[in-house]
Amino acid sequence: MMNKRYVSLWFRHLLTDRLALRQPELKDVPFVLVGAERNRQVVMAANHLAEAQGVTTGMAAADAKAIVPGLQVIDYIPGQADKLLNALGEWCIRYSPFIAVDLPDGLLMDVSGCAHLWDSEHGYLKAIVTQLISKGYDVRGAMADTIGTAWAVARFGREKPIIAPGRQMEALLNLPPTALRLEQVILDRLQKLGFHTIKSFIGLGRTAMRRRFGDDFLSRLNQALGTEDEPLQLLHPVEAYSERLPCMEPICTATGIEIAIKTLLEKLCQRLQGEGKGVRTAILRGYRVDGLVIGAAIATNRATHHVEHLFKLFELKIPSLEPALGIELFTLDAPKVEDVEPGQELLWSAEGCGLADTSLAELLDRLANKIGAANIHRFLPQEHYWPERSIKTSASLKEKPATPWRTGRARPSLLLPRPERIEVTALIPDYPPMLFIYKNKVHHVKKADGPERIEREWWLDQGEHRDYYQVEDESGQRYWLFRSGHYTGDQSNQWFIHGFFA
Amino acid sequence: MNYAELQVTSNFSFLRGGSHPDELVEQAANLGYMAIAITDRNSVAGVVRAHQAAKATGIRFIPACRLDLLDGPSLLAYPTDITAWGRLCAILTKGNIRAEKGQCHLYKQDVFAGAEGIKFITIPPDALNARFDFDDTFKADLKEYQQVLGDELYVAASRSYNGDDGKRLHRLSQLGVPMVATNDVHYHESGRRELQDVVTCIREKCTIRNAGFKLHANAERYLKPVDELERLFRQYPDALKNACEIADACQFSLDTLKYLEPEWVSPDGRTADEHLAAYTWAGAERMFGENIDPKISEQIDFELAFFKRRKLAPYFLRIHEYTNKAKELNILHQGRGSAANCTVCFCLGITPVNPTKSRLLFSRFMSDARDEWPDVDVDFEHERREEIIQWIYETYGREHAAIVATVTQERHKGAIRDAGKAMGLSEDTIKRLSGAIWDFSEEAFDRERIIAQGLNPDDPHLHKVLELTEQLMGFPRQLGQHTGGFVITQCKLSDICPVMNARMENRTQLEWNKDDLEALGILKVDVLALGMLTCIRKAFDLVKQHYGRELTLENVPQDDPAVYEMICHADTLGVFQIESRAQMSMLPRLKPRIFYDLVIEVAIVRPGPIQGDMVHPYLRRRDKIDPIEYPSAELEEILGRTLGVPLFQEQAMEIAIVAAGFTPAEADQLRRSMATFKAKGLVSQFQKKLVDGMTAKGYTEEFAKRIFKQLEGFGSYGFPESHATSFAHLVYISSWLKWHYPDVFAAALLNSQPMGFYQPAQIVIDAERHGVIMRPVDVNYSLWDNTLEEKDGRYCTVRLGFRQVKGLNEADMQLLILGRGNGYISISQLSDAGVPQAAIEKLTDADAFGSMNLNRREALWEVPALNDKPIGLFTGQPSESTLETQIALPFMNPAEHVVQDYAATGLSLKAHPVSFLREQFNLLHVNPTGNLSNLKDGDQVKIAGLITVRQRPGTAKGILFVTIEDETGFANLVVWEKTFEKYRKDILQARLLMAEGKLQIEGEVIHVIVKRCFNLNKLLGGLTPIENDDQPVLTLSRADEQTAAVPNDRNQIPSGKTEAKDIFHKGRNFK
Repeated sequence: MMNKRYVSLWFRHLLTDRLALRQPELKDVPFVLVGAERNRQVVMAANHLAEAQGVTTGMAAADAKAIVPGLQVIDYIPGQADKLLNALGEWCIRYSPFIAVDLPDGLLMDVSGCAHLWDSEHGYLKAIVTQLISKGYDVRGAMADTIGTAWAVARFGREKPIIAPGRQMEALLNLPPTALRLEQVILDRLQKLGFHTIKSFIGLGRTAMRRRFGDDFLSRLNQALGTEDEPLQLLHPVEAYSERLPCMEPICTATGIEIAIKTLLEKLCQRLQGEGKGVRTAILRGYRVDGLVIGAAIATNRATHHVEHLFKLFELKIPSLEPALGIELFTLDAPKVEDVEPGQELLWSAEGCGLADTSLAELLDRLANKIGAANIHRFLPQEHYWPERSIKTSASLKEKPATPWRTGRARPSLLLPRPERIEVTALIPDYPPMLFIYKNKVHHVKKADGPERIEREWWLDQGEHRDYYQVEDESGQRYWLFRSGHYTGDQSNQWFIHGFFA
Repeated sequence: MNYAELQVTSNFSFLRGGSHPDELVEQAANLGYMAIAITDRNSVAGVVRAHQAAKATGIRFIPACRLDLLDGPSLLAYPTDITAWGRLCAILTKGNIRAEKGQCHLYKQDVFAGAEGIKFITIPPDALNARFDFDDTFKADLKEYQQVLGDELYVAASRSYNGDDGKRLHRLSQLGVPMVATNDVHYHESGRRELQDVVTCIREKCTIRNAGFKLHANAERYLKPVDELERLFRQYPDALKNACEIADACQFSLDTLKYLEPEWVSPDGRTADEHLAAYTWAGAERMFGENIDPKISEQIDFELAFFKRRKLAPYFLRIHEYTNKAKELNILHQGRGSAANCTVCFCLGITPVNPTKSRLLFSRFMSDARDEWPDVDVDFEHERREEIIQWIYETYGREHAAIVATVTQERHKGAIRDAGKAMGLSEDTIKRLSGAIWDFSEEAFDRERIIAQGLNPDDPHLHKVLELTEQLMGFPRQLGQHTGGFVITQCKLSDICPVMNARMENRTQLEWNKDDLEALGILKVDVLALGMLTCIRKAFDLVKQHYGRELTLENVPQDDPAVYEMICHADTLGVFQIESRAQMSMLPRLKPRIFYDLVIEVAIVRPGPIQGDMVHPYLRRRDKIDPIEYPSAELEEILGRTLGVPLFQEQAMEIAIVAAGFTPAEADQLRRSMATFKAKGLVSQFQKKLVDGMTAKGYTEEFAKRIFKQLEGFGSYGFPESHATSFAHLVYISSWLKWHYPDVFAAALLNSQPMGFYQPAQIVIDAERHGVIMRPVDVNYSLWDNTLEEKDGRYCTVRLGFRQVKGLNEADMQLLILGRGNGYISISQLSDAGVPQAAIEKLTDADAFGSMNLNRREALWEVPALNDKPIGLFTGQPSESTLETQIALPFMNPAEHVVQDYAATGLSLKAHPVSFLREQFNLLHVNPTGNLSNLKDGDQVKIAGLITVRQRPGTAKGILFVTIEDETGFANLVVWEKTFEKYRKDILQARLLMAEGKLQIEGEVIHVIVKRCFNLNKLLGGLTPIENDDQPVLTLSRADEQTAAVPNDRNQIPSGKTEAKDIFHKGRNFK
């Protein structure tokens, strides 16, 4: 059996490094991430500049701010370390396929037999660390026969980061007990007993140790030394919905591209169908002989694995795909997939012709691909009294209204995007109009209701309130009119029409 | 035509109303309404304020309530007379008591049962149904209401511009119940709608952006002019008429309530006055002997006559009752307050302060001219006050006794937090904004500070937030319970005011606060808690036990010169009140020699005299540097006892009356307006009146301004002479104990912790300095409390108790004490006694096995082995652990022991941590603090020690006072604001601080004016061994250091152990 080798990576400022990468303005200022812990605002992470000024993790946020005036305080978002380590782990797969996330701030790699590609273990470790540092992460790494020793040396080692095979014991002797990944109670006890380094207790009898510090303690020690195995929870890369189609001959024709698309779609959709999923977005890429990559993307209103439909959407894009000297490789990725709802059997039913109808969705997809998605709207209610803001456009057919449509107040079926000025005759101060002139036509009001006074949303804009009236003219048409503000004496520029009732 | 608004939600419907009750009432008066009611939700907490505002403006006010029922539409209830008011309060009480605090669960049946004499308006649903009609359930409920309530029932008709007002009113008119026009008022003027939206957001825990339909669509819920209402209800003129009809019927005024103040029920037919006189004379004989000085008996006669005139006898008898009870239960207590320092109270045993000694004259505080209510606060031992409270509930009954409410108001920080959150500001911005407010300051936002926090004060959104914050300040948020104010009545309390459950178990409280009650002339008595009384009682017990001397608050020998001598040397650590840094540095200057000096000492180190710049003039006159003179002859009487310098709140107020022509009522108003932080306008109005009034009478403007400043200082921390006198008494007693029995005092003080300014470590060091021998915690000798053992020299030795060990609980230690028998000889015996292993481990941490000859490390090595006690067949056989070969644990040096002692108990009897660093300090030329008195004023010194206290008093203009401690004593550092800004990090982080600066010696007062500071925490780390510190640093190879493939900053490598510095207390910070 091949000798096992492990690398442990320790990201000393994982979260703050990440933030500094995203927000370069944070690079040269002390800042901390602050989160709530037992109802206290506590520093969860501090960048090296803050640490240099004495801020430590676990310190009360108020204390940290007292120490460093002008300290930038950023909200800590739980779960980010995990996400970030996963991503970094994915990236590390180029060095070894066996990567594990080591919360809260490290990665573990099984690198057995990997190092020779980089000439030496030294070169290998250096490559990894240098790369990560150049990405902007403050990282320390160490290599050893065991996870435990690599972990310990990465964090507490003061000499060589590469521990030669079989030399774990030697490497550990001078390290503190906490290098053994022990529970805090045990660490406290060890410290109280005066065991400040591993060498001070490693020679004590095993039974005496077990009695006092438990099995886990011995297990950790054995794992570090290599007398006990330690499994790694490997990071399996999630298999993306992606298909590849290498071509024997470079494809140069539209027909060839069509065939390629169909082949890819069939493969993809077969798989999606098996999993009950469908495409929301898909990206086609063509790798051309000349090294350029061309592509086209489609999106659907509903998740679908209907090959014909998806093909129709791509078909519209084929003319834009310029094969030039030919395409060697096609890939089709579906970055966004969703569960497909079971097919609707009934052709006509109360729901069948509604939003759930797949053919409606497909029609909309085709229309959108033709005339542009910007020309098709779906409106959903919003919790606003102000009429213009009481509706919003929705991008998806599946989006559920966040609030029910209000029915208690009369609202026109057609709301003008912008109220239009009208002339009215009305009794003052707040009686409905008796007649109004809209587009040069005089409407005599026969029936009216109101006013419904709607005030500005003062936190969004300033201005007059509106008094809305629902009126019916002599021909039975109903209109939604309003007067802007209180009656002022000059009625001419106060009145508007804002909608039509069906 | 006239109008009365009957549906008004004030901000006492917490987070619903947008205006104060007084704002609503004043606006209604301005609009010429005939009357206004306040109808808060299931509460009448705001009615007294409205009532007072109405009295001031002349409008008639109708106290009322909105009853939100769990099983029917809400009802507005208007009591027509005092008995109906009582029934309404009873309904609310019933609902309150059956729900948790802050809620009120009411049902129709409750209302029906108490409906007599109350007029009701029911509130119809907001929306009509699809048939443009009211729901059937509402109609059915209405029918039920109508059957029970008959003609007293109306239905509310409002025009709130919802678009269907016409339809609604039409439907309402068809219901067969008379309509009443209301406007469902939520704010007094429409501009408040923004604030009302914000409080809605706070209530619904959302932001203004996502509040949506939780807000109202428009701003119509304000008090509208009468003619506008006439227009709105032109089709239904009866609705307006009905409003006036109800208002006319409700003639009940809260003013009539005061006549319900109960008479004291005499057990034997004698009047309360006769009882009081009998008790007083009996007491006088006890206190002054058979032959009472005619002066005293004259005074007693005078006071009794006064109480009789003011019908106060029942009040004093009641206080007498429960202080008597406290005496019975052996609970120490002491009265204070304007009326407590009278001879009658002394004779009744309410206060132990002998009025003839303290020169306090009763008439100074109470007179027929000043129509004030007496104020007697009684302090009890804080650990036992609950017994008195429960006794009061039991004796008088929960129907007759309840705690007064306090209205928690939005203050600066809370308001900015609430408004900021509602307006969608980030947590971070909110914190910055609150950072822009000075603590304790009454100032509004300061542009400079907002900019300093990196915010833009001109941003409109931020501007709006600040504007709303200003409006929100002073809004009531919730009803809390007063710290100890009780109302005790003969009639049912619920006839006067609703009673509700308090947050604390077994407590009930009223809905009104002390100002409300005072306005209605309802008396409260204060049952307060004081930690020092607990300490004194414990000390008295120990003195009795170990020295066989019975002490009471009354019999402690007065005027002991040795005690005053000790006080003059500022040797007052642990003593009541005069132990703070400021007090301690005042003592050698003021040199108290008699009791009244202590009264002044207590009062002088306070914001009032300091802000009024009265301290130095007083000291100079006292030291006979300046002549004693009076601004005028009329002030001589007022200022005589304080050498012509006003020091007490009463004096400043009297000056306002005598010299500036204030009426006593105005002076009182002035004091109150200072205490409430919102009445800005009023305050500046008063300032002008005071200064003008005084200059007109020939006083200098400068003096007038100082008086005003002083009043301002008293505002937030009012501390009148009567309180100072009572406190001075405890100052004296605690000092007396400290001087005569430092052993007892230290033990009692430790047993009463947490209390005062100092940590146990300082109390212990101070006791040792006074010749008391302290002994460590030991499993074979300690009890839970700190105890006294046999006498060694002048004093008993003090054995530290288990309470000093962090993380132990009393029950476990009782098991330990019970199982002790003839003493433990092995650790396993503790385990056999039932002491949990975790507790044993804590005991090893505290090094409590000395009597077994085990040090903490050896003991700890034994503890985990207790687990494998042989069981079953093997019971009784030696455990495996005993067969282990003896191992040699790492040696623990004394410094390490001391560090561990601090970790486990916060103190060490072995040595002072700093002593281990002395050699290093000598190399750095650091002076021991004990050496400072040998140096000269102005010398440059370097000192170092553990920080015990940091104090930055609001009155000291940004100066920080730091006390540090080494093995030789204390040193007091003064850090000016500029120095602090420069060394802020070091000062705030340091536990061990080195400071360089100039020595300032003024008599016995020694300060170091700090120039430079250094955080020496690192040296504390050196107290515990760090191995392998000299190891080289992790690198890949020399050449890699440039590329920094692996960073090589050794400081960034964790040491992997608890930092020793964390073990030491980080010092207490005080404002």
